[in-house]
Amino acid sequence: MATATYPPPPPYYRLYKDYLQDPKSAPAPPPPVVGTYVCFGSTYTTDDILPSLEEQGVRQLYPKGSNIDFKKELRSLNRDLLLHILELADVLVSRPSQYARRVEDISLIFKNLHHLLNSLRPHQARATLIHILELQIQRRKQAVEDIKRRREEAQKLLKESLGAFEAQ
Amino acid sequence: MDIISQLQEQVNSIAALTFNTFGTLQRDATPVKLSPNYPDPPPAPVPPPDDATKFEDQPKLMSAALVKAAKQFDALVAALPLSDGGEEAQLKRIEELQAENDAVGQELQRQLEAAGLLLCSILITFSYFFSSIILTLLF
Repeated sequence: MATATYPPPPPYYRLYKDYLQDPKSAPAPPPPVVGTYVCFGSTYTTDDILPSLEEQGVRQLYPKGSNIDFKKELRSLNRDLLLHILELADVLVSRPSQYARRVEDISLIFKNLHHLLNSLRPHQARATLIHILELQIQRRKQAVEDIKRRREEAQKLLKESLGAFEAQ
Repeated sequence: MDIISQLQEQVNSIAALTFNTFGTLQRDATPVKLSPNYPDPPPAPVPPPDDATKFEDQPKLMSAALVKAAKQFDALVAALPLSDGGEEAQLKRIEELQAENDAVGQELQRQLEAAGLLLCSILITFSYFFSSIILTLLF
Protein backbone atom coordinates (compact mmCIF):
# COMPACT_ATOMS: atom_id res chain seq x y z
CA MET A 1 0.00 0.00 0.00
CA ALA A 2 1.52 3.29 -1.07
CA THR A 3 1.51 6.03 1.52
CA ALA A 4 1.75 9.68 0.58
CA THR A 5 4.15 12.03 2.32
CA TYR A 6 2.74 14.74 4.53
CA PRO A 7 2.04 18.03 2.71
CA PRO A 8 4.78 20.67 3.18
CA PRO A 9 4.20 23.58 5.60
CA PRO A 10 2.68 26.71 4.04
CA PRO A 11 5.39 28.70 2.21
CA TYR A 12 4.86 31.99 4.05
CA TYR A 13 6.87 30.81 7.07
CA ARG A 14 9.90 32.46 5.39
CA LEU A 15 8.38 35.88 5.99
CA TYR A 16 8.82 35.45 9.75
CA LYS A 17 12.60 34.96 9.69
CA ASP A 18 13.41 38.14 11.65
CA TYR A 19 10.34 38.11 13.88
CA LEU A 20 12.31 37.85 17.13
CA GLN A 21 14.49 40.86 16.32
CA ASP A 22 11.81 43.02 14.73
CA PRO A 23 8.18 41.95 15.28
CA LYS A 24 6.95 44.52 12.77
CA SER A 25 8.91 43.10 9.84
CA ALA A 26 6.53 40.16 9.48
CA PRO A 27 2.94 40.47 8.20
CA ALA A 28 0.11 40.51 10.76
CA PRO A 29 -2.17 37.43 10.85
CA PRO A 30 -5.20 37.69 8.52
CA PRO A 31 -8.46 38.98 10.10
CA PRO A 32 -11.14 36.39 11.07
CA VAL A 33 -13.36 35.17 8.25
CA VAL A 34 -16.75 36.84 7.97
CA GLY A 35 -19.71 35.40 6.12
CA THR A 36 -19.31 32.24 4.06
CA TYR A 37 -16.09 30.38 3.33
CA VAL A 38 -15.09 27.33 1.32
CA CYS A 39 -13.26 24.51 3.09
CA PHE A 40 -12.23 21.29 1.27
CA GLY A 41 -14.72 22.01 -1.48
CA SER A 42 -17.83 22.66 0.66
CA THR A 43 -19.24 26.03 1.64
CA TYR A 44 -19.69 26.79 5.32
CA THR A 45 -21.08 29.83 7.04
CA THR A 46 -19.86 31.67 10.13
CA ASP A 47 -23.41 32.74 10.93
CA ASP A 48 -24.71 30.10 13.34
CA ILE A 49 -28.50 30.17 12.92
CA LEU A 50 -30.65 27.13 12.45
CA PRO A 51 -31.64 27.07 8.74
CA SER A 52 -35.40 26.97 8.28
CA LEU A 53 -37.05 23.87 6.89
CA GLU A 54 -37.78 25.51 3.52
CA GLU A 55 -34.07 26.18 3.04
CA GLN A 56 -33.48 22.45 3.43
CA GLY A 57 -36.31 21.58 1.02
CA VAL A 58 -38.61 20.06 3.67
CA ARG A 59 -42.31 20.93 4.03
CA GLN A 60 -43.15 22.58 7.34
CA LEU A 61 -46.13 20.91 9.02
CA TYR A 62 -46.59 23.22 12.00
CA PRO A 63 -47.85 26.79 11.53
CA LYS A 64 -45.30 29.55 10.89
CA GLY A 65 -45.15 32.66 13.02
CA SER A 66 -43.00 34.24 15.68
CA ASN A 67 -44.90 32.86 18.69
CA ILE A 68 -45.25 29.12 18.27
CA ASP A 69 -46.90 27.12 21.06
CA PHE A 70 -44.18 24.48 21.20
CA LYS A 71 -45.93 22.08 23.55
CA LYS A 72 -49.12 22.01 21.49
CA GLU A 73 -47.25 21.54 18.20
CA LEU A 74 -45.02 18.80 19.62
CA ARG A 75 -48.02 16.91 20.98
CA SER A 76 -49.97 17.16 17.72
CA LEU A 77 -46.93 16.03 15.71
CA ASN A 78 -46.56 13.06 18.06
CA ARG A 79 -50.21 12.09 17.48
CA ASP A 80 -49.80 12.49 13.72
CA LEU A 81 -46.75 10.25 13.86
CA LEU A 82 -48.62 7.44 15.60
CA LEU A 83 -51.51 7.71 13.11
CA HIS A 84 -49.09 7.49 10.20
CA ILE A 85 -47.40 4.45 11.71
CA LEU A 86 -50.77 2.72 11.99
CA GLU A 87 -51.54 3.72 8.40
CA LEU A 88 -48.25 2.19 7.28
CA ALA A 89 -49.11 -1.05 9.08
CA ASP A 90 -52.51 -1.13 7.34
CA VAL A 91 -50.97 -0.43 3.93
CA LEU A 92 -48.42 -3.21 4.43
CA VAL A 93 -51.23 -5.64 5.11
CA SER A 94 -53.58 -4.60 2.29
CA ARG A 95 -51.49 -2.97 -0.49
CA PRO A 96 -47.82 -3.71 0.31
CA SER A 97 -46.41 -2.11 -2.84
CA GLN A 98 -47.56 1.37 -1.76
CA TYR A 99 -45.39 1.68 1.31
CA ALA A 100 -43.12 4.39 -0.11
CA ARG A 101 -45.46 7.36 0.31
CA ARG A 102 -46.33 6.44 3.87
CA VAL A 103 -42.65 6.04 4.75
CA GLU A 104 -41.97 9.47 3.23
CA ASP A 105 -44.75 11.00 5.33
CA ILE A 106 -43.33 9.43 8.48
CA SER A 107 -39.85 10.74 7.74
CA LEU A 108 -41.31 14.21 7.05
CA ILE A 109 -42.94 14.18 10.49
CA PHE A 110 -39.66 13.14 12.10
CA LYS A 111 -37.79 15.96 10.34
CA ASN A 112 -40.37 18.47 11.56
CA LEU A 113 -40.14 17.12 15.12
CA HIS A 114 -36.36 17.48 15.16
CA HIS A 115 -36.51 20.95 13.64
CA LEU A 116 -38.98 22.09 16.32
CA LEU A 117 -36.76 20.70 19.05
CA ASN A 118 -33.70 22.40 17.56
CA SER A 119 -35.50 25.72 17.45
CA LEU A 120 -36.05 25.41 21.21
CA ARG A 121 -32.30 25.59 21.81
CA PRO A 122 -31.89 29.42 21.62
CA HIS A 123 -34.66 29.72 24.21
CA GLN A 124 -32.78 27.24 26.41
CA ALA A 125 -29.55 29.21 25.97
CA ARG A 126 -31.21 32.45 27.09
CA ALA A 127 -32.83 30.70 30.06
CA THR A 128 -29.43 29.27 31.06
CA LEU A 129 -27.91 32.75 30.86
CA ILE A 130 -30.65 34.16 33.07
CA HIS A 131 -30.08 31.39 35.60
CA ILE A 132 -26.31 31.99 35.65
CA LEU A 133 -26.77 35.75 36.11
CA GLU A 134 -29.17 35.16 39.00
CA LEU A 135 -26.71 32.77 40.67
CA GLN A 136 -23.88 35.26 40.24
CA ILE A 137 -25.92 38.10 41.74
CA GLN A 138 -26.84 35.92 44.71
CA ARG A 139 -23.18 34.93 45.29
CA ARG A 140 -22.00 38.54 45.05
CA LYS A 141 -24.66 39.72 47.52
CA GLN A 142 -23.61 36.95 49.91
CA ALA A 143 -19.96 38.02 49.58
CA VAL A 144 -20.89 41.67 50.28
CA GLU A 145 -22.74 40.63 53.45
CA ASP A 146 -19.83 38.47 54.62
CA ILE A 147 -17.28 41.22 54.03
CA LYS A 148 -19.45 43.77 55.88
CA ARG A 149 -19.78 41.47 58.86
CA ARG A 150 -16.07 40.69 59.03
CA ARG A 151 -15.16 44.36 58.69
CA GLU A 152 -17.40 45.24 61.60
CA GLU A 153 -15.92 42.45 63.72
CA ALA A 154 -12.39 43.51 62.83
CA GLN A 155 -13.11 47.14 63.65
CA LYS A 156 -14.59 46.16 67.00
CA LEU A 157 -11.53 44.06 67.83
CA LEU A 158 -9.22 46.88 66.76
CA LYS A 159 -11.03 49.37 69.02
CA GLU A 160 -10.93 46.94 71.95
CA SER A 161 -7.24 46.26 71.50
CA LEU A 162 -6.44 49.99 71.22
CA GLY A 163 -8.47 50.64 74.34
CA ALA A 164 -6.71 47.82 76.21
CA PHE A 165 -3.33 49.09 75.08
CA GLU A 166 -4.04 52.68 76.12
CA ALA A 167 -5.24 51.48 79.50
CA GLN A 168 -1.94 49.76 80.20
CA MET B 1 -29.31 15.25 30.51
CA ASP B 2 -31.30 18.38 29.77
CA ILE B 3 -34.90 18.04 28.74
CA ILE B 4 -34.47 19.00 25.08
CA SER B 5 -31.80 16.33 24.63
CA GLN B 6 -34.10 13.85 26.36
CA LEU B 7 -36.88 14.79 23.93
CA GLN B 8 -34.52 14.33 20.98
CA GLU B 9 -33.42 10.93 22.32
CA GLN B 10 -37.07 9.96 22.78
CA VAL B 11 -37.88 10.89 19.14
CA ASN B 12 -34.95 8.77 17.97
CA SER B 13 -36.04 5.84 20.13
CA ILE B 14 -39.59 6.06 18.72
CA ALA B 15 -38.06 5.89 15.23
CA ALA B 16 -35.91 2.90 16.23
CA LEU B 17 -38.88 1.07 17.75
CA THR B 18 -40.93 1.73 14.60
CA PHE B 19 -38.48 0.27 12.16
CA ASN B 20 -37.56 -2.59 14.48
CA THR B 21 -41.26 -3.44 14.84
CA PHE B 22 -41.94 -3.47 11.12
CA GLY B 23 -38.67 -5.22 10.32
CA THR B 24 -39.16 -8.00 12.87
CA LEU B 25 -42.79 -8.59 11.94
CA GLN B 26 -41.99 -8.70 8.24
CA ARG B 27 -39.05 -11.02 8.78
CA ASP B 28 -40.61 -13.46 11.23
CA ALA B 29 -44.24 -13.61 10.12
CA THR B 30 -45.60 -17.05 9.25
CA PRO B 31 -46.10 -17.52 5.48
CA VAL B 32 -49.59 -16.96 4.02
CA LYS B 33 -51.40 -19.92 2.43
CA LEU B 34 -51.93 -18.98 -1.23
CA SER B 35 -54.56 -21.61 -2.08
CA PRO B 36 -56.61 -24.14 -0.08
CA ASN B 37 -55.38 -26.90 -2.40
CA TYR B 38 -51.83 -26.74 -1.17
CA PRO B 39 -51.01 -29.21 1.59
CA ASP B 40 -50.30 -27.92 5.09
CA PRO B 41 -46.62 -27.53 5.88
CA PRO B 42 -45.00 -30.19 8.09
CA PRO B 43 -45.19 -29.38 11.80
CA ALA B 44 -42.35 -27.05 12.86
CA PRO B 45 -39.51 -28.55 14.92
CA VAL B 46 -39.43 -27.82 18.66
CA PRO B 47 -38.15 -24.23 19.02
CA PRO B 48 -34.78 -23.87 20.80
CA PRO B 49 -35.20 -23.35 24.54
CA ASP B 50 -33.64 -19.84 24.50
CA ASP B 51 -36.41 -18.49 22.22
CA ALA B 52 -38.38 -17.15 25.15
CA THR B 53 -41.07 -15.19 23.36
CA LYS B 54 -43.25 -16.87 20.82
CA PHE B 55 -44.00 -15.05 17.59
CA GLU B 56 -47.66 -14.53 18.52
CA ASP B 57 -46.69 -12.30 21.41
CA GLN B 58 -44.30 -10.10 19.40
CA PRO B 59 -46.83 -7.69 17.84
CA LYS B 60 -48.46 -7.05 21.20
CA LEU B 61 -45.18 -6.48 23.02
CA MET B 62 -43.76 -4.25 20.30
CA SER B 63 -46.85 -2.12 19.92
CA ALA B 64 -47.02 -1.77 23.71
CA ALA B 65 -43.39 -0.54 23.69
CA LEU B 66 -44.19 1.95 20.90
CA VAL B 67 -47.20 3.34 22.74
CA LYS B 68 -45.19 3.57 25.95
CA ALA B 69 -42.47 5.52 24.15
CA ALA B 70 -45.04 7.91 22.68
CA LYS B 71 -46.61 8.44 26.13
CA GLN B 72 -43.17 9.17 27.57
CA PHE B 73 -42.64 11.75 24.84
CA ASP B 74 -45.91 13.43 25.83
CA ALA B 75 -44.87 13.42 29.49
CA LEU B 76 -41.53 15.04 28.58
CA VAL B 77 -43.31 17.70 26.49
CA ALA B 78 -45.57 18.46 29.47
CA ALA B 79 -42.46 18.87 31.64
CA LEU B 80 -40.91 21.52 29.35
CA PRO B 81 -40.30 24.68 31.40
CA LEU B 82 -41.52 27.04 28.69
CA SER B 83 -42.44 30.10 30.76
CA ASP B 84 -43.53 32.32 28.00
CA GLY B 85 -43.24 35.86 27.15
CA GLY B 86 -41.05 34.75 24.30
CA GLU B 87 -37.73 36.11 23.21
CA GLU B 88 -38.35 39.79 24.08
CA ALA B 89 -39.28 39.02 27.69
CA GLN B 90 -36.15 36.93 28.12
CA LEU B 91 -33.91 39.62 26.60
CA LYS B 92 -35.47 42.27 28.84
CA ARG B 93 -34.87 40.08 31.92
CA ILE B 94 -31.27 39.54 30.85
CA GLU B 95 -30.75 43.32 30.61
CA GLU B 96 -32.27 43.87 34.06
CA LEU B 97 -30.11 41.15 35.56
CA GLN B 98 -26.98 42.59 33.91
CA ALA B 99 -27.70 46.03 35.36
CA GLU B 100 -28.29 44.54 38.82
CA ASN B 101 -25.13 42.44 38.49
CA ASP B 102 -23.09 45.57 37.64
CA ALA B 103 -24.50 47.45 40.65
CA VAL B 104 -23.81 44.57 43.04
CA GLY B 105 -20.35 44.20 41.52
CA GLN B 106 -19.57 47.84 42.22
CA GLU B 107 -20.83 47.50 45.80
CA LEU B 108 -18.59 44.44 46.21
CA GLN B 109 -15.63 46.41 44.85
CA ARG B 110 -16.28 49.21 47.36
CA GLN B 111 -16.48 46.75 50.24
CA LEU B 112 -13.23 45.11 49.12
CA GLU B 113 -11.46 48.47 49.00
CA ALA B 114 -12.74 49.38 52.45
CA ALA B 115 -11.60 46.01 53.78
CA GLY B 116 -8.17 46.62 52.24
CA LEU B 117 -7.93 49.98 54.00
CA LEU B 118 -8.98 48.37 57.27
CA LEU B 119 -6.28 45.74 56.83
CA CYS B 120 -3.68 48.51 56.33
CA SER B 121 -4.83 50.30 59.49
CA ILE B 122 -4.66 47.01 61.44
CA LEU B 123 -1.12 46.42 60.22
CA ILE B 124 -0.10 49.97 61.20
CA THR B 125 -1.67 49.53 64.64
CA PHE B 126 0.10 46.21 65.09
CA SER B 127 3.47 47.70 64.18
CA TYR B 128 2.79 50.60 66.59
CA PHE B 129 2.02 48.13 69.42
CA PHE B 130 5.06 46.07 68.58
CA SER B 131 7.45 49.04 68.48
CA SER B 132 6.07 50.44 71.79
CA ILE B 133 6.50 47.06 73.48
CA ILE B 134 10.05 46.78 72.16
CA LEU B 135 10.86 50.32 73.38
CA THR B 136 9.44 49.64 76.85
CA LEU B 137 11.43 46.43 77.02
CA LEU B 138 14.65 48.15 75.99
CA PHE B 139 14.32 51.11 78.38
